[in-house]
Amino acid sequence: MSLEDIIQETKTFYCLDCGKCTGLCPVSRYNPAYSPRVMLENALFGFQDDLTYNHDLFSCLTCYACSSKCPGDVDYPLFIQKARALALDAGQHGDCAHSGTVQSLARLMSNPGVSQNRLEWLSDGLRISTQSDTMFFVGCAPYFEHIFDFDSGAIDAVKASLKILNHCGIEPVVLPNERCCGHDMLWTGDVETFRRLAEHNAAIIKEAGVKKIIFSCPEGYRTFKEDYPKYVDIDCELQHISEFLADRIAENGLDFSEVKRKVTYHDPCRLGRHLGIYEQPRKVIAALPGIELVEMEHNKEESLCCGTSAFVNCDSCSKQIRVDRLLEAKATGADTLITSCPKCQIHFRCAMTNKGEEKGPDVEIEVMDLVNLVANALGDGHNE
Amino acid sequence: MSDAVLVIGGGIAGIQASLDLADMGKHVYLVEKSPSIGGRMAQLDKTFPTNDCSICILAPKMADCYDHSNTTILTYSEVKEITGSAGDFTVTVLKKARYVDAKKCTGCGECTEKCPAKAPDLFNMGLGTRKAAYLYFLQAVPRVALIDQEYCIRMTKGLTKDGKPRCGVCKDVCQAGAIDFDQQDEEITLNVGAIIIATGFDPYDPTSLTEYGYRRYKNVVTAMEYERLICASGPTGGHLKRLSADDRDPKTIAFIQCVGSRDLHHNKYCASVCCMHSTKEAILANEHDPEIHSYIFYIDIRASGKGFQDYVARAKKEYNVTYIRSRVAEIAQDAGENPVIWYEDTNSRQVKSMTVDLVVLATCMVPRTDAVGLAAITHTALDEYKFFQTSPLAPVDTTIPGIFACGYCQGPMDIPESVAQASAAAARAAEIVS
Repeated sequence: MSLEDIIQETKTFYCLDCGKCTGLCPVSRYNPAYSPRVMLENALFGFQDDLTYNHDLFSCLTCYACSSKCPGDVDYPLFIQKARALALDAGQHGDCAHSGTVQSLARLMSNPGVSQNRLEWLSDGLRISTQSDTMFFVGCAPYFEHIFDFDSGAIDAVKASLKILNHCGIEPVVLPNERCCGHDMLWTGDVETFRRLAEHNAAIIKEAGVKKIIFSCPEGYRTFKEDYPKYVDIDCELQHISEFLADRIAENGLDFSEVKRKVTYHDPCRLGRHLGIYEQPRKVIAALPGIELVEMEHNKEESLCCGTSAFVNCDSCSKQIRVDRLLEAKATGADTLITSCPKCQIHFRCAMTNKGEEKGPDVEIEVMDLVNLVANALGDGHNE
Repeated sequence: MSDAVLVIGGGIAGIQASLDLADMGKHVYLVEKSPSIGGRMAQLDKTFPTNDCSICILAPKMADCYDHSNTTILTYSEVKEITGSAGDFTVTVLKKARYVDAKKCTGCGECTEKCPAKAPDLFNMGLGTRKAAYLYFLQAVPRVALIDQEYCIRMTKGLTKDGKPRCGVCKDVCQAGAIDFDQQDEEITLNVGAIIIATGFDPYDPTSLTEYGYRRYKNVVTAMEYERLICASGPTGGHLKRLSADDRDPKTIAFIQCVGSRDLHHNKYCASVCCMHSTKEAILANEHDPEIHSYIFYIDIRASGKGFQDYVARAKKEYNVTYIRSRVAEIAQDAGENPVIWYEDTNSRQVKSMTVDLVVLATCMVPRTDAVGLAAITHTALDEYKFFQTSPLAPVDTTIPGIFACGYCQGPMDIPESVAQASAAAARAAEIVS
């Protein structure tokens, strides 16, 4: 795809040069060199090298804070996604966090011959089946469990999701040869790896013959919903677990024990601005007896990003964004920050470890996935 | 066949069209939805680029229009049905009950003074309250009070245990005996030869631009609210104050342009008058208090009318107004309820924040919400933005012969343009009824 094609596809030519994107961009607040408006300006002037060799091309969080308010409705995150593919062709790939482990794992997984020990975490009476119409997509949580030197909480969220589904009488299909959805590959410009992962997943899902797939990871959900249809055929109903729960609660209610917490909810960009799901997680929280939900200053459409996307260009600016968000959460007086995305959780938990700082700011707050909050209220205290 | 003309909407365009026709010897029925003619112009403090007091130049026209021997002014009335065709339209008008006999009321204000019930003051854009028995505004024409049945104690609370009405203070104090709680809505049938639509605009509600915090932050107001705040007949008597409880006089004011206009998520078009009215509002602020520094955040300054560019230059040079090229990204608020503006200065390419005392949103102007209903009644076509459709070489003709449109109801324009169109529409209507 040429720069000209990218401009056409993302409607970049509608740019009014008004600067609203840059004013809204969480990265531009801390990185004065980075401006979405100037990125587009360079593209429109045809300065391709200024785009592809710009280190900050990989700093964009693709959080849609800019595009959701852009008066010209320019799809900047999509522009970035496509421009990164150009950059990758030119040998540029940004700075991969965690020594590039996440990216390497995704590339390894794209090899159809690799076999994984993917269900090691499955225990504690959690029930899956091979016959169900419903599949649960696990995503990269089993890997996240081993990558970070702090408790990422990712696999606990998967277990909690399964517990919820079991409680609702669903013993879902969980595929042992499932692969990374390819989200990070697509958003860092490696379209070829993404395509291989998508094709693999599409094939095994077709073979499993399921009719519905439930996700707890909003990145997987977004990728299946918005990106897979351009490459593969997934003929299934797709649902995020917060939507599943909101439906169940509305239909026949679920018996929850009392939750004595004051919580605030962080909208993950993929679930919120990417897919417009703001109300379902809040309905689920509101259904828990005894809980109090307070909103942060930036919520729903204005929610702030957790500071890194696709595990690339994670730097001091990312840290500052996370710290700001945690301070906003603290300012609400909540004791728990609920989110609905494993990566948001990882990034917030990482920020609280205060790596590289002798004395970090006071940002300690319990961070928990929505599914853990719900699973804990479902009775046996399994995930407490 | 009828030689009378119906004018729908009693703002400056409707008034001008009525006056022109009346002066030509045609009979005009002017139907106005609110209790007084005057429209949006009556709500403005001053007009650009001359800083004329808006009501001072409008009020004589309102009075002339009302007093003219060839006009019948039907306020607090709505057009319900139109049948027929050019030269011979039959119009049904609903004249709503004021609960005050217009022939007896002297407009003395005694009922208003003694009325115990309060209601939001819509003329003042909901800033402050008025009484349930009220005059629409100080210079209302006709100068006839009315009773708001939604807030009147007698009409909302029912009878006491012993079967007596709960209130009747207005009736007791009215020396003219004008209060009439038994008054009923009336249907009036008119026969006219031509119709002029002049229904004007509504300000766009900026609540959906959540990033600007309107309604969330007290010191973020719309331009129409600001016009009332700075107007001597407004809710603060023209003392420009913040709306937060501190009641402080603002010293720095930010004007945000293109709020809901030139925006594919809201209204695509340029509202055409905001660059100038914000410039005017910033000048007025400085005239009220020379310590006030105003900032106008713009994408392009569209000063394309007579004397407009000079006006902008004068604002910069003489009235402490700074223009910053940026579409404001977000408005937050600090602990002192001061709005904090985040923006990219596109000239210096830097993201900055600025804390100000007051923010004024130059909201887009959109056709009145009932334009759709009126279009259905008149069978006229609307364009994609719900403005009445006209064509370049017949700029006041709607899609139905004998029905004309002038002023903001057919597209963005300022007061002089609306007046010019009104005269054009009057001339076109006169051709039919002559």
